[in-house]
Amino acid sequence: MHINRKEVLRDPWFVAGLCLALAFGFVALLGPALAPYDPWNMGFEPIASPDSRHLLGVNDGGQDILSELLYAVRNTVAFGLLSGLAALGLGVAAGLAAGWYGGPVDAFLMRLADVLLAVPAVMVLILAAALFRPEPWVLALLLAVFAWPTISKTIRAQTLSLRTSLHVKAAVRMGASGRYILRRHLLPEMFPLYLIGFAAKARMAMFMEASLAFLGLFDPSRKSLGMMISYALKFYYMDIWWHWLMPPVLCLSLLIMGVTFLAVGLEKVLDPRLRTVTGEPV
Amino acid sequence: MTLTVDRLRVIYRDGDHGILALDEVSLVLEPGRCLALVGESGSGKTTLGMACMGLLPESAEVRGRILLSGQELDTADEAAMNRVRWSDLSMVFQNGAANLNPLHRIVDQVAEPLIHQGNMGRRPALDRAAEALVSVGLEPHLHRRYPHQLSGGQVQRALLAMAGVLDPAVLILDEPTSALDALSKGIVARVIREAVARGKAVLLITHDLEFAVHQADHMAVLYLGQVLETLPPEDLLSRPLHPYTLALGRSYPSMDTVRDLGGIRGDAFYRLVHRHGTENGEHSVHSHIQIPGSSHRDGHAPPTGCLFQNRCTQAVPACSSGRIPLEEVEGHGVRCLRHGIVNLMELHNVTKAYDNVPAVKGVDLEIKAGEILALVGETGSGKTTLAMTAAGALRQDQGQRFFDGQDMDGWIARDYRSLARRVGVIYQNPSESVSHRFTVFDAVAEPLRIHGFGKNRSERTDQVRRVLSDVHLSTDPAFLERYPHELNMGAIQRVCLARALVLSPVFLAADEPTSSLDPSVQAKVMKLLLELQTERGLTMLFVTHDIGLARKISDRIAVMLAGRIVELGPASAIMKDPRHPYTRLLLESASGRHVEPRIGESDAGDVDGCAFAPRCPSRLDRCLTERPLLQPQSGRKVACHASGPAE
Amino acid sequence: MKATGGREMTGKRRGVGTVISFALAALVMIYLSYQVPRLLPGDFVTAMYASSQVTLTAEEAADLRAYYAQEGGFGGYLARVLTLDWGYSYAFLTPVSELFFEALPWTLLLLGTAHLLSMAAGFVGGVEAAWRHGRVAEKGLVGGMTLLEGMPEISTGVILLFVFALNLNWFPAVGAETAYADLGGIDRLGNILHHLALPLTTLILAYVPGNFLLTRNSMILVLRAPFIQTARAKGLPPIRIRYAHAARNALLPLATRFGLRLAFMITGALVIERIYAYPGLGTLLFNAIQARDLPVIQSVVLMSSIGVLGVILCLEAAYRLIDPRIRNAH
Repeated sequence: MHINRKEVLRDPWFVAGLCLALAFGFVALLGPALAPYDPWNMGFEPIASPDSRHLLGVNDGGQDILSELLYAVRNTVAFGLLSGLAALGLGVAAGLAAGWYGGPVDAFLMRLADVLLAVPAVMVLILAAALFRPEPWVLALLLAVFAWPTISKTIRAQTLSLRTSLHVKAAVRMGASGRYILRRHLLPEMFPLYLIGFAAKARMAMFMEASLAFLGLFDPSRKSLGMMISYALKFYYMDIWWHWLMPPVLCLSLLIMGVTFLAVGLEKVLDPRLRTVTGEPV
Repeated sequence: MTLTVDRLRVIYRDGDHGILALDEVSLVLEPGRCLALVGESGSGKTTLGMACMGLLPESAEVRGRILLSGQELDTADEAAMNRVRWSDLSMVFQNGAANLNPLHRIVDQVAEPLIHQGNMGRRPALDRAAEALVSVGLEPHLHRRYPHQLSGGQVQRALLAMAGVLDPAVLILDEPTSALDALSKGIVARVIREAVARGKAVLLITHDLEFAVHQADHMAVLYLGQVLETLPPEDLLSRPLHPYTLALGRSYPSMDTVRDLGGIRGDAFYRLVHRHGTENGEHSVHSHIQIPGSSHRDGHAPPTGCLFQNRCTQAVPACSSGRIPLEEVEGHGVRCLRHGIVNLMELHNVTKAYDNVPAVKGVDLEIKAGEILALVGETGSGKTTLAMTAAGALRQDQGQRFFDGQDMDGWIARDYRSLARRVGVIYQNPSESVSHRFTVFDAVAEPLRIHGFGKNRSERTDQVRRVLSDVHLSTDPAFLERYPHELNMGAIQRVCLARALVLSPVFLAADEPTSSLDPSVQAKVMKLLLELQTERGLTMLFVTHDIGLARKISDRIAVMLAGRIVELGPASAIMKDPRHPYTRLLLESASGRHVEPRIGESDAGDVDGCAFAPRCPSRLDRCLTERPLLQPQSGRKVACHASGPAE
Repeated sequence: MKATGGREMTGKRRGVGTVISFALAALVMIYLSYQVPRLLPGDFVTAMYASSQVTLTAEEAADLRAYYAQEGGFGGYLARVLTLDWGYSYAFLTPVSELFFEALPWTLLLLGTAHLLSMAAGFVGGVEAAWRHGRVAEKGLVGGMTLLEGMPEISTGVILLFVFALNLNWFPAVGAETAYADLGGIDRLGNILHHLALPLTTLILAYVPGNFLLTRNSMILVLRAPFIQTARAKGLPPIRIRYAHAARNALLPLATRFGLRLAFMITGALVIERIYAYPGLGTLLFNAIQARDLPVIQSVVLMSSIGVLGVILCLEAAYRLIDPRIRNAH
């Protein structure tokens, strides 16, 4: 398992994804600094068209849309990163344990994974959001609980194959401890899988966050792209298409596209069999 | 139907570059005959099979023609090829089970062509398929299995059945026996024989020389996309005419070969092709890029001329120019500038006596380039004299000697040194052959000094170091300053070997080089000699009294008795089936069985009749009066009236 | 490596084993659902309905508390679930099961059609694209599909709604059929399809790229396999090679992926139902959330989970049918 760095950087999808991801990351980090106004400030004239003071206009509650947008991006990105990392951590731990120890540990973890995979995460999240009204980060972690199974399956498969590989067997024969093998052989080898898994889960988490916000399941004062779309949609009969509805739609699309392209680019480079090859049978 | 391949050229394209896989290969597959196409990886043999079926990838450029019974096949036209595929010519591919769809049952896959090409109904097609499977030894209960449920041998047989199901006129088999058990190999062999008997044309592509020799009617040896030799199969191991064929036979472990395996020095390479403008759309062949990681010794192949020259044991400068055609030489087709393996050394009727005691009497001998000839005989048989005469150290009384085609007497008279440079000699007593006053360095550098090579001490040191490392001796300055007599016998012999090789000779005469060594040391030196012969492409004359030792190192053996050669032939033939009673005696002694010789005197000088007659258990009356001449007999030459197959 | 009679029995035994483990999983889900009220703080009935738009009479509140007092324990709950006695919705004043089965057909129509069509289109598209690998049209299609895959359902849904329903007025923006229209037969069918068009298109646009790309990628790998060369050598017609030989092998990863992603695809469906006010389970759930109507929420979540479980089970069975190696392997 080897990612050729030059190859990766030449792939257009990866580069596009990277640019988008970096751009949004930048915005997420600097959000508050870049926002011209406090997004909760309801003092502006409602549903105003864009002008020099409000580049994207004002929403129905009298809040500056641009500022809202910046904070919303931040929330979505944060949610995605947190959930993705948590899912990655859980998935890698479970996959490694299942693949390395095998036996009852493996059986238990995989059964657990199967059950978790059957449950529609969104429903549980909705249930939790409706009943308990938790902090968003709790929901992010809850989502991770449903997201780790797919990662763990991939990691487990790779661990199984590495466990029987010759270089690991040689190390074991030389007297290496399990921890050493984990550290020196297994963990580094699967690095590309982490990237791909993280990208996929972060993508899904951001998508979930937008969906949940769209359905109104977060605290109404929390800024989110989904929530903005939901509100804007109510005023479809007014001329808010370009400045209120499109920007969050566009941002959400670009954000998710960026992460998707990153994942696609990585997958393509990781699997050399997908490229064109001149056959050379002999 | 006859399948004719006419000047087929295939280049695999990758952007501006390409790899030349087949270079104007022409073959004819006649009905009722099996042609074996033999070669190693990179030779292009699979490409040839695929080209005939029209299965090369789109990126492959194909020139030349493929004709089926005179009709040209347009391999680019899928529809036309589909009409011909499987019904007229079919192929069994490499890779066993991977050639079958893992999701379809065996019998379905065998029946599939019958249904789709043969327009048979499903029921009759399945029945016919079942028959075909049974005929290759797969019983009915296996028919409804999936590929992963069959063993490798069973899969191969199923593939065979599938290939024959539409009764094609041409059958191509690509490595049908790799990794197969004996039973399945036997069935493959039977299928080939039956196909040939029924008039099919069979192309057997393989690197399994043994199998090819037994199944084929005719053979072609492929190297880097060119046919280097075509020959009857029985000649492959006993009478190859191309240096590559000889080396290939030597590299192959078979039950008949006796000497240790040798490889071929250097590496094969890819033939890269570049586009050069658009002259007439032709692109010329251009560099030969070596496969990375190859050894440094072999140098680079020049862009024209013989493809094998950088690994050949008899290449001359002329080999690198022009294109060498395939010509007929002694019944084989050979592509070699020098018309096949040349004789590096030829001795005609050589006679030498010491003080009126004849040592060598009228000996005719050729030593082929790149081979190891063992000269075996008892003490006093004249073998050392013969060897030294061949090496140019002694002058014969009568007869002629030729080295690389030139008369040695004239050469020696003109310029002995230039001949001496090309010949290396190592002796029976290593420590005696080196002056006690010389250091290791002095000993090994001596030839350099004598011939004036190396402008200064440091250049000479470099050369000495290089050759010392070739014989696996230390190159430390400390070692160079040691005295050979301080070293153990094996090391001294290696120093002598280094000395003999420092000028890169083409011929090495080794006179009982290991007789005074301990067995374990002897073994190491023997291995070293074999390794050097492979690496440097040396031709060797190895003198020994121990036929058991000879068998481990030689391609051919010459048995000497009382100054004459009594048996001469391929080592495997002589070891398996010695014809001369003396050879049998030597073998029996070597194996520890001592046969009581007939009571009689040992051979005396110039008697009439056979020198072995007094001791010979198979002696006839005429043996005492009429000296037998060296006659060809079952693959070798024997000088005996009573010889025949051993009882 | 030879299969014996014993091995075949194991295959069937494995099938039964899988059914059992799924039944167990379903039971676990029902149990968790049963436990939910215990997890809620205090007198949740009051707390919940206090913030709801619905007010309960004392009698209704008492009934609800009784319902949640879980008489008969888990067994009783299980029995009630199985007999479709899912409680009463005070927000909608209807038994929950009635609400559920009213909304279910619309969701099945929307999701079912979307998945079927997108599987078929993605699969065939992927197969044909892989067959033409390297040509310009294929590269373009792959690029387009990758781009489309990056678009979340929300965005596509909103854009389509805005453009085609709200601005161009070619399609209705709301509902599954025109209310109170009282159409019959063909007219009704036409009306339903008209309403179905936009949400269906949105979902198809969301599902097709994944199917297409996965099929294409796995087809490309399959096409390189030696047995495809054998099929070509046998002179078989190209369509047969493409589908009977190659595509069948490429089907396997697609089936696996579908099973893994099923539970997550529901999110998109929910959002789409909301955007188009399509009266399926999604809208039901959403409205129930607004109304803090716990019985409805519970039932919808539980039944959907069990439904997904069922689909995954069918997929496993289908997988065994497709791939004989799994059938007989240990």
